[in-house]
Amino acid sequence: MKLLLIVLLPLAGIVLPPVLVRAGRTASAWAAATPTALALVLLAGMAPTVFEGGVVEASWPWMPALGLNLAFFLDGFGLLFAGLILGIGLLIILYARYYLSEDDPMGRFYAMLLAFMGAMLGIVLSDNILLLVVFWELTSISSFLLIGYWRHRADARQGARMALAVTGAGGLCLLAAAILLGHVVGSYQLQAILAAGDTITASPLYLPILGLVLLGAFTKSAQVPFHFWLPHAMAAPTPVSAYLHSATMVKAGVFLIARLYPALSGTEEWFVLVTVIGLATMVFGAYGALFKDDLKGLLAYSTISHLGLITLLFGLNTQAGVIAGVFHIINHATFKASLFMSAGIIDHETGTRDIRKLGGLRHYMPVTMWLAAIAAASMAGVPLFNGFLSKEMFFTEVVVESERLGGIGWLLPVFATIGGLLSAAYSLRFVHDVFFGDETGALPRHPHEPPRYMRVPVEILILICVVVGVVPSLAISTVLATAAGGVLLQAPEPFSLALWHGFNVPLVMSVLALAGAVALYYQRDAAERWHERTFPAFTGKGCFESVLAGAIAASRRLTAWLDDGSVQRNVVLVIGTAVVMAAAGGITGGLDAGSRALTPAPLPAVAVWLMGVIATVVVALRHHDRFLALVATGVVGLLSALTFIYISAPDLALTQLSVEVVSTVLLLLALNVLPKETPHESSPGRRWRDGVLAVAGGGGIAALAYAAMTRPLDSISRYFLETSVPGGGGHNVVNVILVDFRGFDTFGEITVLGIAALCVYALIRDEAHTMASADTEARHPRMLLIGSRVMLPLLAVVTVYVFLRGHNQPGGGFIAGLIAAVAMVTQYMASGVHWTEQRLTGNYFPMIGAGLLTAGFTGLASWLFDVPFLTSTFSHVNWPVVGDFEIASAVAFDLGVFLTVVGSVVLMLSQFGKQQPPVEGR
Amino acid sequence: MLTVTLYIGFAAVIAAMAMNLYRLLAGPTAEDRVLALDTLYINAIALILLVSIQFADRIYFEAALLIAMMGFVGTIALAKYLGRGALMD
Amino acid sequence: MEILIASGIGVVTAAGIYLTLRARTFPVILGLTLLSYAVNLFLVSTGRLAINAPPIVHEGTKAYTDPLPQALVLTAIVIGFAMTAFVLVLALKARRELGSDHVDGRE
Repeated sequence: MKLLLIVLLPLAGIVLPPVLVRAGRTASAWAAATPTALALVLLAGMAPTVFEGGVVEASWPWMPALGLNLAFFLDGFGLLFAGLILGIGLLIILYARYYLSEDDPMGRFYAMLLAFMGAMLGIVLSDNILLLVVFWELTSISSFLLIGYWRHRADARQGARMALAVTGAGGLCLLAAAILLGHVVGSYQLQAILAAGDTITASPLYLPILGLVLLGAFTKSAQVPFHFWLPHAMAAPTPVSAYLHSATMVKAGVFLIARLYPALSGTEEWFVLVTVIGLATMVFGAYGALFKDDLKGLLAYSTISHLGLITLLFGLNTQAGVIAGVFHIINHATFKASLFMSAGIIDHETGTRDIRKLGGLRHYMPVTMWLAAIAAASMAGVPLFNGFLSKEMFFTEVVVESERLGGIGWLLPVFATIGGLLSAAYSLRFVHDVFFGDETGALPRHPHEPPRYMRVPVEILILICVVVGVVPSLAISTVLATAAGGVLLQAPEPFSLALWHGFNVPLVMSVLALAGAVALYYQRDAAERWHERTFPAFTGKGCFESVLAGAIAASRRLTAWLDDGSVQRNVVLVIGTAVVMAAAGGITGGLDAGSRALTPAPLPAVAVWLMGVIATVVVALRHHDRFLALVATGVVGLLSALTFIYISAPDLALTQLSVEVVSTVLLLLALNVLPKETPHESSPGRRWRDGVLAVAGGGGIAALAYAAMTRPLDSISRYFLETSVPGGGGHNVVNVILVDFRGFDTFGEITVLGIAALCVYALIRDEAHTMASADTEARHPRMLLIGSRVMLPLLAVVTVYVFLRGHNQPGGGFIAGLIAAVAMVTQYMASGVHWTEQRLTGNYFPMIGAGLLTAGFTGLASWLFDVPFLTSTFSHVNWPVVGDFEIASAVAFDLGVFLTVVGSVVLMLSQFGKQQPPVEGR
Repeated sequence: MLTVTLYIGFAAVIAAMAMNLYRLLAGPTAEDRVLALDTLYINAIALILLVSIQFADRIYFEAALLIAMMGFVGTIALAKYLGRGALMD
Repeated sequence: MEILIASGIGVVTAAGIYLTLRARTFPVILGLTLLSYAVNLFLVSTGRLAINAPPIVHEGTKAYTDPLPQALVLTAIVIGFAMTAFVLVLALKARRELGSDHVDGRE
């Protein structure tokens, strides 16, 4: 439960900052900090268990059959990440309070930040990979909102969209990978998947799984060639960059690689893919960072580079590599967050982030200078700071690996050194160009130190950098061992964290890198000229934009080709596709007749069939005479009702007959307003094409129906037939299914019916006219009038009879409702709208509403007896004439059905009846 | 005896339906078609009653009753349409 | 009997498809009506044919036809009516707004 709370606290806290911002900006920050701090306290409470090697688990089944469970677990690795997310999150909240200006909506900022935090926590704590994917997508969406926070800026919007497109696409790959993993392992539980590494790597699906997982991770962690979204995400406010691009968003990809390490690693494919991409990203990012003039741009490329380094370490398939990777995750989070915040401070106090305009700031902000210098030194891998330790471990690992590989293995340490060299060079540039040198005099503002509490978060992080850097084994080795144990699924072999390992190859590499960096920095003008000569402007963003534009243009063309605005053409395409697909299925799957014995066909049935066929053909061929087509359609309906009777479906026959008459009335009402003739306008070619399509479709359906009817049936209906009387209290199984077994479906269907009626009403109410008509013989023939009024009570009696008997004999709410509707419509026709609505009602909404409420409350009443929604109960009653019937709660439900049907049908028909034919010649 | 009677009944009803259908489709006037449809409904009642007798089951009687009523209402609607165009005024 | 029902469904479907491909709203709606007849019959027939075996439970009767498709089709018939009404309203509205009952809204 506590585990769930950790995730839920930030998500639930979303509502607080926007509300409390009215009480002031500080109140809003407190509102964001409180749930974060609470979650951190909860996490700290669980930490001892995890440090002792335990795993905290919490799980709630949701759809166990599909493997969907709300499941969380906390191991060492999860603890590390959750701690980073919450701890740095807290610092960012403090920082942002001072960073955001008066004009920025602070409530919205904190709400999005909390949403993002909750989603990140969900990723690192999920014990179900489908759940993990859900949270993964949530981080994509919430980071989209955060990056686009300054929504009036075009670059923010474009950067946000690009981040969403790239990481969202990766999320889809991850979803596919999760489903494949679940398929291979037989469980979506993350811990089960981690334990099944051998099964997964031996599976033929291993390569697709690996590829999809890596696509998800690489897009999120901005690995080459998906790195281009990250620099553009720098359009976000700096607190967002500091949070997303140091400890959270981009680390999610690395987290995934580490989390699935036991399941996927250990193979040659893993080694090649992960190591090569990691190495390429590291070198590329570091090189790119060297030539960025924007402080945040420099940090963005540096982030790409360090993420590549971490990825590479996990690709090595060694325990020491994993430990180094986890260690660098921690170190990078601390120094990169403080660097981003320092960049934010500089931007905030000077008004620019352009390195070319900055210089000599040491005179104005000495404290900030020290903080930034330490963080940059850590990033460069200077001894005494934490970055040095993990870089040494990295160099050690690549040297070991190159010895194992032989051949071109030596490339690995060479490129590692180059990466380290570039990294140190841009760190030097970050510090020297900004704080030293001469003032350029181009600053928009007069610089000074930031507000006290804006610096506190940076100071805390720098303290960690130094403490870890100086006394590593004391400060961090337990945390590191626990976290690495979580990745490896076992306690790692003892390792030593020390500043001094003696004179060895890694030390030489470090010295080379640092010395080379200084040399490179002093030759930076030459380097820049060389860079501009060698690499003309080619950006990932340009590629992305042109791919995007191409995709949009292609989909426009496809849409225009598929849908040129002609309904007729669309219908042909849809039906044609259906016919072709069904034909393909029929040919490959087989439509042969089954073994079931045929039912004999008596002569009257053949005669009815023949009449039906003739009437249908006449409808199709003579549809230009609309009245004839309508009458002939009525014949087809009548004959299909007769068919229902013959094949033992009396309820359907009754329904069909009632619907038949209301449909006829409806179509006549419409025909009154529409032209009476259809012009002959189709070309013979089109008629032939349609005819061929129609015959193909009809033939296919006939073959399918025949194949279905002649095959043996194993139906679930046995259950309904057996339990109808003892369980539902009714002999008419069809009705019992409707109001009891499948009552919820019926409830949905009458809701649809009600909605359709309301739509019909809403669409044509403007043209509806009720005129007080002269009650003349010509308008309302006397005979019809009297006949209809005599029929009204008769129909009412039949309605009650059919309704009450419905549970045991053919009938029920639907049929009774239709009969009652017909009775009312008859009054409309015989006496006119005005007369009828004066005496009955013109307002059918209460009836529809009452019907739905009756049905709904009948279902809810079950809850009073502590049984599920719509559970029915009954007892039998014997009335004279009507016979034995039951009073079941289902009858109340059926009453709801009845009311809804009456209200809906009469509302629709009366609404059509109020339409006036158009004035001719319009 | 009953069987023979039923056969004769079936034959007569079917013949009536066939002729009605002819009138309904051939017309020539709309009134012809409406009357034919009305009669067709009545034929259908007869057909259902015959089937019920054959099956010895009263369960279909309601259908016959309903056809009688619905056929009447349908005929009203068609007649009203032919007479005035507007059904409800 | 199976052959009669299957071919009947086929003929009604064919006519329905042909009419839904017409250019004017009224025949299209008639086509949809025919198609729903065919679909309803088809669905009921997937419960297989049984003569004189309605799903009304009696003492001593053993054979019943499959009630489930019937229950589904019963609501389908009513919903089909609602759909017809809705499409008709659209046809009416289109005719009023565009002055034509062509399905594409233009002659």
